[in-house]
Amino acid sequence: MIASRQEGDRSSGQFNIRVNQLRKVLRTSHGTEPLVAIDRLTFSVMAGEIACIVGRTGCGKSTFLNILAGLDHPTEGEITIGENTPYNAFDLFKGAVAVIFQQDRLLPWRTARENVELGLEILGISPGQRRETAEEWLTRLELSGFLNAYPGELSGGMRQRVAMARAFALDPQLLLVDEAFGHLDEVTARQLRVDFLKHASRRGTTVVMVTHQLEEAIETAEKIFVFGKPARLLAEIDTPAALSRMSKEELRTFIQETIDSNQPRQL
Amino acid sequence: MGSFLAPPTMGESPVWPRGLSLGLRRETFFSLLLFACAWQIASYFAPPYVIPGWQAIGKSLLHLHMEWIAVTAVRVLFSLLLSFGLGALLAMLMYSSRAFERYLLPLLKMLMAVPVLCWILFAVLWFRGVEFRIAFVLVIICGPIFVIDLLDGMKGVLREWREMLRSLRPSKFQFFQKLILPAILPAVLTSWKVNLSLAVRVVTIAELVGATSGIGYGLVVAQGLFSIADIFAWTLVLVVILLVAQQIITLLEDRLLHWRESA
Ligand SMILES: Nc1ncnc2c1ncn2[C@@H]1O[C@H](COP(=O)(O)OP(=O)(O)OP(=O)(O)O)[C@@H](O)[C@H]1O
Ligand SMILES: [Mg+2]
Repeated sequence: MIASRQEGDRSSGQFNIRVNQLRKVLRTSHGTEPLVAIDRLTFSVMAGEIACIVGRTGCGKSTFLNILAGLDHPTEGEITIGENTPYNAFDLFKGAVAVIFQQDRLLPWRTARENVELGLEILGISPGQRRETAEEWLTRLELSGFLNAYPGELSGGMRQRVAMARAFALDPQLLLVDEAFGHLDEVTARQLRVDFLKHASRRGTTVVMVTHQLEEAIETAEKIFVFGKPARLLAEIDTPAALSRMSKEELRTFIQETIDSNQPRQL
Repeated sequence: MGSFLAPPTMGESPVWPRGLSLGLRRETFFSLLLFACAWQIASYFAPPYVIPGWQAIGKSLLHLHMEWIAVTAVRVLFSLLLSFGLGALLAMLMYSSRAFERYLLPLLKMLMAVPVLCWILFAVLWFRGVEFRIAFVLVIICGPIFVIDLLDGMKGVLREWREMLRSLRPSKFQFFQKLILPAILPAVLTSWKVNLSLAVRVVTIAELVGATSGIGYGLVVAQGLFSIADIFAWTLVLVVILLVAQQIITLLEDRLLHWRESA
């Protein structure tokens, strides 16, 4: 299911993401050999696009997303969002970038509503407005009955919804998602995915989403980037164009073979 | 919250009706009662200068200098607040600067290895003011414990949470306020419990160094007068002070950390 763009689209050129010759070498505690996590990665995501990244486990997807979020620096090369790099111009992206992590990462001492308010508190938004926004998002994500529940009282799927609400409440221009639905059962994951896309496309948010479920990528993304191990670009797929030529199943097979071969391929 | 005193709502065992309970579990009450009875029986067989009966201890309690209890309590509280303030400051500096931590940690470890009695002797050698001596001994003993506990707490804050918070791009102050402080609150309260019981036990010895008031001084006077019942009365007062203080912190824990019931 490809999201169709509506009004409120903010996909201006300002938020185009360019990844240029990115390298990340990690020093590990166990081995003496430094580990190459990302190796000369180059690609672009246009503002307002929904992009999926797929690749083998441990291929450097989370590492890449961390750099894109500005939480880590690359060893070589660079990422620019518009004119700026997210890790150097860190504070410039305050409120503009939100992350939904691999685990929900809710703070256990805050209720669902307070967790959603966290980002708004940091932006200095008034308590009344914070509360309103948080309740609005939690209601939209069908958690209106759990505003004052602590994370310990919620199921995994509900917690992930709260984490989603926390990101959406910021109304970011760029939303980074790391396997947010991976550990949930298929029915819950599908429903969450549908909700997620509905809200992301409504606001014209640029989305970069990591997943290892190929079906999820094919159903979700306008662009799919296939990463090798260590992370470099093996294939870039324009999903609507590809699906006009082949079936979902054929596309899935192509992606799977590309990942298995670990070699760059053309569709 | 490993206290044998439990709040009325949380005990697994039956509790007294509210109002009567003082937060005591039924077992706690009975075990204390049993001890009191055993003591009383023992007092009939032993001479009064070994085990004075409850009536003698009770009589002593009535004529003790009650204001000395307040004096000792204020000394403990003041010193602990000072230790906590200094400890928190140092812990934050050590958390912010790796180099600072590496220089300071060995010194703290060294301080913590010095016996209490040595600190008391040093205090007598170095300082003249009695109140200063007492505060010095308590702060030098409790301060490092606060530092280590707080630092451990801060370093134990999960990397996942730190990353999540950093992704929201907070100021340094917001990072502490929104994440570090609430995350270490359980460790802070536990540290207060440990230091309270330590301070209450140490303050009496510290008060031997020239104080003319306080429970420690009361104990010396009682010993000088060979008034055994007084010694036990003061001991009882100390034990009760400590238990009450611990109970206050336990109640505070239940108030501030009630989210943990759901976890
Ligand atoms: N902090 C770190 N220090 C050292 N090595 C790390 C660190 N974090 C990750 N790695 C290594 O870097 C590589 C890439 O890790 P990363 O978490 O980015 O993979 P991933 O693609 O997100 O995997 P998954 O799909 O399992 O989440 C792995 O080999 C991992 O062992
Ligand atoms: Mg990952």
